[in-house]
Amino acid sequence: MLIFGVIFSNQLIFSDAKYFASDSNIELISETYSIQSGNDFLVGIKFKLEKNWHTYWENPGDAGEGASIEWNLPRGVKASAILWPGPERIPVDPLMTFGYNDEVVLLTRISTDGNLVFPLNIKAQVGWFTCKDICIPQEGNVDILIEEGSFYSSDHQKEIQLYSEKVPDKFSQNYRVERLDNKYFLQTDIDDGEHFNKVYFFPKEYGLTDYSEDQVYEKNQNSFILEIKSSEADLNLSEFQGVIETFNENGRSYYEISYPLSGETSDEQKSIFLLIIFAFIGGLILNIMPCVFPILSIKILRFVEHSENSSTQTYKFGLFYTLGVVLSFLLIALILLALKSSGENIGWGFQLQYPLVISILFYLFIALGFMFMSNLVFGSQFGQLSNLAQVKNESLESFLTGILAVVVASPCTAPFMGSAIGFALLQPSGNSLLIFLSLGLGFALPYLILSIKPTLLSFLPKPGAWMETFKQFMAFPMWASALWLLWVLSGQVDSDTVLLVLIGGLIISLSLWLIEKNTSETKWIKWIVRLFVFILISVSVWILPTQYSSDDGVNQTDLVFSEELLNEYRSNNELVFLNFTADWCITCKVNERVALKSQRVVELMKRRNIRYIEADWTRKDSVIAKKLEEYGRTGVPLYLLYPSKGKPIILPEILTEDILLEYLNELS
Amino acid sequence: MKKTFTSILVFTFFSQLCFGFIKNDQTVPDFKLEDSYGNEISLSSFMGKKVVLEWTNHGCPYVAKHYQTGNMQSTQDFAKDNDIVWLSIISSAPGTQGFVSSEEANELTVSRNASPSHVLFDTSGEVGRIFEAKTTPHMYIIDKQGLMRYQGAIDDAGGRGFMSKDLLKAKNYVKEGLSELLTDQEITSPVTKPYGCSVKYAS
Repeated sequence: MLIFGVIFSNQLIFSDAKYFASDSNIELISETYSIQSGNDFLVGIKFKLEKNWHTYWENPGDAGEGASIEWNLPRGVKASAILWPGPERIPVDPLMTFGYNDEVVLLTRISTDGNLVFPLNIKAQVGWFTCKDICIPQEGNVDILIEEGSFYSSDHQKEIQLYSEKVPDKFSQNYRVERLDNKYFLQTDIDDGEHFNKVYFFPKEYGLTDYSEDQVYEKNQNSFILEIKSSEADLNLSEFQGVIETFNENGRSYYEISYPLSGETSDEQKSIFLLIIFAFIGGLILNIMPCVFPILSIKILRFVEHSENSSTQTYKFGLFYTLGVVLSFLLIALILLALKSSGENIGWGFQLQYPLVISILFYLFIALGFMFMSNLVFGSQFGQLSNLAQVKNESLESFLTGILAVVVASPCTAPFMGSAIGFALLQPSGNSLLIFLSLGLGFALPYLILSIKPTLLSFLPKPGAWMETFKQFMAFPMWASALWLLWVLSGQVDSDTVLLVLIGGLIISLSLWLIEKNTSETKWIKWIVRLFVFILISVSVWILPTQYSSDDGVNQTDLVFSEELLNEYRSNNELVFLNFTADWCITCKVNERVALKSQRVVELMKRRNIRYIEADWTRKDSVIAKKLEEYGRTGVPLYLLYPSKGKPIILPEILTEDILLEYLNELS
Repeated sequence: MKKTFTSILVFTFFSQLCFGFIKNDQTVPDFKLEDSYGNEISLSSFMGKKVVLEWTNHGCPYVAKHYQTGNMQSTQDFAKDNDIVWLSIISSAPGTQGFVSSEEANELTVSRNASPSHVLFDTSGEVGRIFEAKTTPHMYIIDKQGLMRYQGAIDDAGGRGFMSKDLLKAKNYVKEGLSELLTDQEITSPVTKPYGCSVKYAS
């Protein structure tokens, strides 16, 4: 009887710290059961679950819910928020949840002030879910007594210590988070020898990353990168927050990650407004570019001729011309956006990266120049520039002139509008369209104004022979543009191909001359000449180049690595940037997109005449492997920056635009 | 040049056929499921009406609480009064929690005083996977044109401590979204975090 009584009373004292539920029980434990006033100490709720059951982390993942603890504390005692230990992944196909299997202790730091009334009764009301394939919601009350006395380590101290080590610390290394398309890239520096075998990221909030998708971990020399698919539910969170779980020889550790994500700021909005204005001004300037000026000036001269007639007619032409221009620019914008969203990495000026497009433009300029020079243009049925389709309707003709103007303007826009349009394409689609629209309106404006008020041209002499002279003279800027295109082309294809395109230009000129001279009265002669012209033009089309002579056409400044090439540049005391990369290297690709291929970096390299050599290790060839070995590397990326004399500088593995610009600027 | 045209083609093709996650304002793909009376019900037959989808599992404590407190029923009544179709979908695989026979499903509707337009069985989980239904409950609102307009939780009572929260005081996202849709307003919270038990898909 006595023994029974003792057991019974023992249970009375201790049973309050424990609560039994189905398939699980909880216990309130403390690292000490006696303290002095003012002491801090750790307590924990220990969840003991049946084998293979689990409860959840702070962010439960796709389903479920973490435990909640409501404290009922005496005066002068405070509890911290739950110190969540790092979780485990608990997949429930096709979903992913984050939590703890079998057992967990959720710690809380209790702090006290100077005036306590002992014993302290620490009470907690706990709600939690015990889950396997099904979930059971549970709730229980637990409490303990803390006496006055000296701080001592209780039986539970070790357990509490164990779990407090699992509570993530702030990650002490440098790291950054980049978002590219629908992926996040977490890149961090790592001290030599501190490497992890595996890393996993647990997001703190819903709407950041995709829970069930696998994450890709890549180890580099002294950094690593983690590729994480972003959540489909895009909530535009401002922070990339969560916990990374790392594994190495010493086991598993958890670290806290928090990195601000750049959202759209009002600053950027402002710069879009500026861009729209610049685009408009750019469009205006385009009118006096050598590609465009001749065509428009000759069209405008027709107003001078017609100005005596009725001005009500001419403004119509102006409107149709504007329509043609704006629609063409919008079409270009849509094509560019479509290409961009299909993953093509393009900017403006891409049209000058295709030999075929350049050659066709070359033909066009040669032909236009010829038309200006000869009598073909005015009067003849082929005459009017956009009359190629034998259009009688003058409104339609004006519309087609608008399209033609955009086509001939396209090579001229590339060099001086390139970066602005490139930036425009990085904007959300709506903004890109606005910028292109503004460019088109600016481009069409002078013609539109003159069409509405042709009297503005009254300072010009009366129509007469001078107009023919002026027209002929305008052939020269056309041919100058053709020359420039040829120069661009010569950078992409070999000299034989350039010669072929020149022959094509000759044939086009010959054809046009034949058309002009084909005034025979006899029908069959006329037709034979026409057939001959047709054959000639077919030949000139047939010889158009469609491919680059070199393999890599996208970036003409890319040079392929060889020891000889490097030595050649070095012996000329040139500055060289050597990029060791590979298609399968995520770090390389992220660095390239974020820093290396950015507009500012490319321009600075060009300005400073820094040779950019790429050593592509995709197929792991031995020449590159040998070079990597020289620098103690077994893999990519490796960035070497060679000054004109002396040893190369090894750049950090995590490149940002600013870091790179600084290195490039300081290079001597 | 060829590459350019292919890219444009591929782009237009994919923007039409892009499968997977259904974003808001995208067209919801049609589906056909059997209801608790053995009729085949297709989503497209409700074209021109607003539709609410409710993923449900009567054994799930979250769902149970929403029905015990009358929160789910009052949302269903709100839909019914406004001529909005309500489809309760059960994606529990046979042998898992929440899987019920037609009779049991009808009995549950009566005993809980619920008023869905139909209770649909998605035992293969196919429809649930298309919608990426994760939890019970997980709610969706589809507008008259068949566009997705809301997806997420029924209310803002999710998160830790759900079991001790008063659901009648919570902000009901579905009611809010439906009212906004009825008055042609912008939906204030078009995406929220769904909460509850995991959907018991066939593995």
